[in-house]
Amino acid sequence: MILHIAKKEMLEMRQDGRFQIAAAIVMTLLCVSLGIGWQQYVSINRQHEQARAETRDQWLTQGKKNPHSAAHYGVYAFKPKSPLSLVDRGADNYTGVAVWLEAHKQNEFKYKPARDANTLARFGDLTASSVLQLLIPLLVILMSFSAFAGEREQGTLRLVLSMGVPRPTLAMGKALGIAGGLGMLLVPAAIVGSAALVLASDTGSFVANLPRLGWMTLSYLLYFVAFIGISLTVSALAKSARLALVCLLGFWIFNGLAAPRIFSDLSRTVYRTPSSFAFSQRMDADLKKGFDENGLKKKLLAQYKVATIEELPINYAGISLKAGEDHGNEIYDKQYGELWDTFEAQNRLQQQGGLVAPLMAIRSVSMGLSGTDFAQFRDFSVAAEKYRRLFIDVLNADITRAPKTETAHMGDDKLWASVPAFEYSSPDVGIVLSQQTWSLGLLALWALLASLAAGWAATQRLRAE
Amino acid sequence: MIATIAKQEWRLLKADRTLIAVVLLMATLVGYSLYNGSSWVAFQRQTLAAAEAEQGERMLKLKGILVAIEEGRMEPKGFQDPRSAGAIGGTSAAPYLAMPPAPLATLAIGQSDLYPYYFKLNLRSKQAILANDEIENPTNLLAGRFDLAFVLVYLFPLLVLALGYNMISAEREQGTLLLALSQPITMSQLVTGKVLLRGGLLLGLVIGFTLIGALVTGVDLSLPTVWMRLALWIGMMTLYTGFWFGLAILVNGYGTSSATNALSLAGCWLGLVLVLPSVANLIATGMYPVPSRVEMVQAMRTAGKEAQTKGSVLLSRYMEDHPELMPGGEKPQADFASLSYAVQMEVDKKVQPILDHFEEQVDRQQSFVDGFRYLSPAILAQSAINDLAGTSLGRYKHFSRQVDGFFEAWQSYFLPKVFSKVKLNSKDVAGFPVYGYQEETDGEILGRVGVVLAGMLVLSGLVLVVAYGRLKRVSVAA
Repeated sequence: MILHIAKKEMLEMRQDGRFQIAAAIVMTLLCVSLGIGWQQYVSINRQHEQARAETRDQWLTQGKKNPHSAAHYGVYAFKPKSPLSLVDRGADNYTGVAVWLEAHKQNEFKYKPARDANTLARFGDLTASSVLQLLIPLLVILMSFSAFAGEREQGTLRLVLSMGVPRPTLAMGKALGIAGGLGMLLVPAAIVGSAALVLASDTGSFVANLPRLGWMTLSYLLYFVAFIGISLTVSALAKSARLALVCLLGFWIFNGLAAPRIFSDLSRTVYRTPSSFAFSQRMDADLKKGFDENGLKKKLLAQYKVATIEELPINYAGISLKAGEDHGNEIYDKQYGELWDTFEAQNRLQQQGGLVAPLMAIRSVSMGLSGTDFAQFRDFSVAAEKYRRLFIDVLNADITRAPKTETAHMGDDKLWASVPAFEYSSPDVGIVLSQQTWSLGLLALWALLASLAAGWAATQRLRAE
Repeated sequence: MIATIAKQEWRLLKADRTLIAVVLLMATLVGYSLYNGSSWVAFQRQTLAAAEAEQGERMLKLKGILVAIEEGRMEPKGFQDPRSAGAIGGTSAAPYLAMPPAPLATLAIGQSDLYPYYFKLNLRSKQAILANDEIENPTNLLAGRFDLAFVLVYLFPLLVLALGYNMISAEREQGTLLLALSQPITMSQLVTGKVLLRGGLLLGLVIGFTLIGALVTGVDLSLPTVWMRLALWIGMMTLYTGFWFGLAILVNGYGTSSATNALSLAGCWLGLVLVLPSVANLIATGMYPVPSRVEMVQAMRTAGKEAQTKGSVLLSRYMEDHPELMPGGEKPQADFASLSYAVQMEVDKKVQPILDHFEEQVDRQQSFVDGFRYLSPAILAQSAINDLAGTSLGRYKHFSRQVDGFFEAWQSYFLPKVFSKVKLNSKDVAGFPVYGYQEETDGEILGRVGVVLAGMLVLSGLVLVVAYGRLKRVSVAA
């Protein structure tokens, strides 16, 4: 019986011109956005790979120079693009793409792609994720707002119920019908998406990304189930199809357009972001204090049991440079740590917005699994900074070992090659999931509660007229 | 006659709870969004004030040091002589170049959270100056802000449609349409009366609340530019409202049910406000892709490496071009500062074509968008509001051109002194180039917004003409 009802729903959808047009538009947008996402990923990834190789080459072939000059020359780290960014670009356009790793200083990432964009970029980037998060729910609403309310207005609801169709069966049938209609769209889209992902990545990284893809599929399914449940509930409770539509559209606008802005405002009010000016003033003030040079000298003299710095068996210049780095690193850890903790607190609050707007939850999960959220940007920043400290350490150690008789100590190709290349691998899916527990939980809760509500409304509250 | 209909409509609205709901909703939306706008403006003003104070302190300190050295109370010591042009122009006297918020900045945050509103100057590289940013959580940038522009462009049309989607269909469904038309009025008059009242109400509310909000948040009404901008803004809002009511009339003119009308209008809104701009953006970025900035970074590095190896050659070449710096005809001394500036100038010269390419691609995208926007009143409204609020890309470019110009003036004041190793004294300070932000002229704004208004006039006019044409054929009976 359930299948009969579902089949009838799907048949009606297929015959409905409005649904056909809407579905065709959504499908086209989904496929086009996947295609563009794939093309962007491939081209940007190629540029970054090339730049990575070049920056390493420049480092290795810098020729003879003082190791500290080499430290000032430094290297660049380029943020890698994750293959799944073809589905969800997340915050990618709003984080810098390159950071200069040099002596004494932890720099900020520069060059946000958004600053090189046209004025429409802020209207919304058309990506697969925006289609899935905004347009598919709209399609769900379109398919289901009249499921009960419409049938009641046409008088067919009374007819069906008088035939003895149990209400739970009717509700299940309707839900299945809508899910089936969606499935007709989404299964081909998922195949297109997976194909794009295969094309975009080599086999190894495709397999590595499979768990992320799987979790992503599950999360989006929960999101859609939630929307089907909400729409059916409203359709069963509303006095008229018109009212059901207005309520559902109102919720859709709140969920998709207002909520992200409101929660980002709210999070900024609760956890204040400092101005760039104040941040760098604080940093400079801390750095200016400097480290205790006399204390360091005393310690060294006592350690090596000599009377003057000149008698030290090691080169003091290297030790002093290292002490300066250590002092700076402590400050950077504190200042950047605080700043990034603030951002993460803001993002957590926004995730909790998923309590009232499921979009906040799915957006967070989707960005996280795509590797384009702030947490993974931070992960990369931390790795780049760790690498900076490593190669500066190698260079300072070389200066410390240098014979003091040498007037100008020079490093050579061997020293440059002793610094390993910067390698980065994105965090495991387990780590991402642990960051997204809240959002995943909320999505599951929405799906469950919305389904229960639909069942309750259809069985307990559905009036035949 | 139309006045009678409007009066009747007013009575109906008052009796209904719709009126109070619309007033409350509008007050909340406008109030909340203006609060957001004004707190962003306050944040910028505070930052600029702090920067200015810091700069003032720094200048005082510099003068103190210079005087102390001149009076022999202090020995110049340290890594760099504090009197050297490099130390003074590069750090101790380097000013902040600011673009203060425009008088109506509270109306739209626009692109202003993306582009810097001040730069700290250095002597070295324009690129390094321009690459700086305000700190912001990328997730927040992605979401955008709940500013008045968002309310007006996205949400306001929905209110228009909510009040207009069943103008005729509801009367037909209730059976009052025949009755009304049995009076000596035409369908057009009936609709005009309804639209004038509902449109006037919405427009009056949004303008009224915005003006109150603007006054509360401290907009300076004594400036003539404020009046011009407000007048343009009101004109734009009137046309925008007209467009959406036109659309509502048009859909009503097909004689379909209220539910169908609601669905069709929601579809139009979605298409014009959400889908079309995204598609346009997609086409623009697809046709004129901007390469990743890593390409530029690499080019800078390569140029830097090449220039480094021939630093002394570059320096001599520069000196040959500027013989006035070496009046005695002596050989240039290749000290660290002169060498590094000579290298940097060479790098900037080499990288310029790549920077130009970036700018060209973005400009091409933007001119495509500027043409495309005449298809969507939402894009038109957005660009007009941002221009009037002074938070548009156009104003940022106006600002960054001034930064370019000032950077050149600063360099041409200090760099020759770096190369000729002149020591500056306390009297020179008064002669340093002084920066002051030049606001866009009213004519420039009028020019940019005028085209947009003209486009909107054509769009709204078209829709209204077609819609009224349609009304003549609409069926009256249910």
